[in-house]
Amino acid sequence: MGDPIYIADSRDVRSVPLDGLTLIYHAPSGMTHIVAPPAPEILEALDAGPADPAELLRRLRARFEFEGEDAIHARLEELEASGLVRRG
Amino acid sequence: MSGTEEEANGKSGFVPSRRTVLVLGAAAASTVITVRPALAQTAGSVLNCEIPVPSPSAGGSYVAPDGRLVAPGTPGAAPPLARPLRGEEVKNLLRSGVTPAGVDPTASQAYANYIRRLQAGMSGFTCYASLQMPR
Repeated sequence: MGDPIYIADSRDVRSVPLDGLTLIYHAPSGMTHIVAPPAPEILEALDAGPADPAELLRRLRARFEFEGEDAIHARLEELEASGLVRRG
Repeated sequence: MSGTEEEANGKSGFVPSRRTVLVLGAAAASTVITVRPALAQTAGSVLNCEIPVPSPSAGGSYVAPDGRLVAPGTPGAAPPLARPLRGEEVKNLLRSGVTPAGVDPTASQAYANYIRRLQAGMSGFTCYASLQMPR
């Protein structure tokens, strides 16, 4: 309840998987980010459209087994701080 | 819930062949490291970088209200700026709509839109990209 909707503008980024990590170039800012799981998986799940944390967890649960759902908030906050994700 | 999983699968298009374990991690752990271009290391260098409008290679092109370059003299388009804009001026223009000194206020949005359309390889792009960075 009251959780923000998060948006990832995938058209603005280029991703390159690299030995377990992913390099993401964000064209509008000219910045490159090195991200570790679960960040690429979260961004991929947001490709399907804007989502709040609960919806995002539902999408991730369709593909993955995981525990500690509360950490999704911390992951989204750091993606937001990096500019890869924004609030709708 | 399996119903929700199927919906999510259909919506995003992936077809999982097996379930993978995903570690969401601890709240304090960081999974994103950002690499910044070297020129953004000091605020001073960013605010003093320059953006020519338009780039010298575009000659005397005018700037249409949407930021595209058009032929000189095109009605409704703004003429090239006599001097490049400094990073600080561009920042104030883009964020607050403040017209730089000596610039026609009615044309400032055209210049702002031109800057927003800058891409890698164009004169002034690295300056513009640096201004977009947080902090």
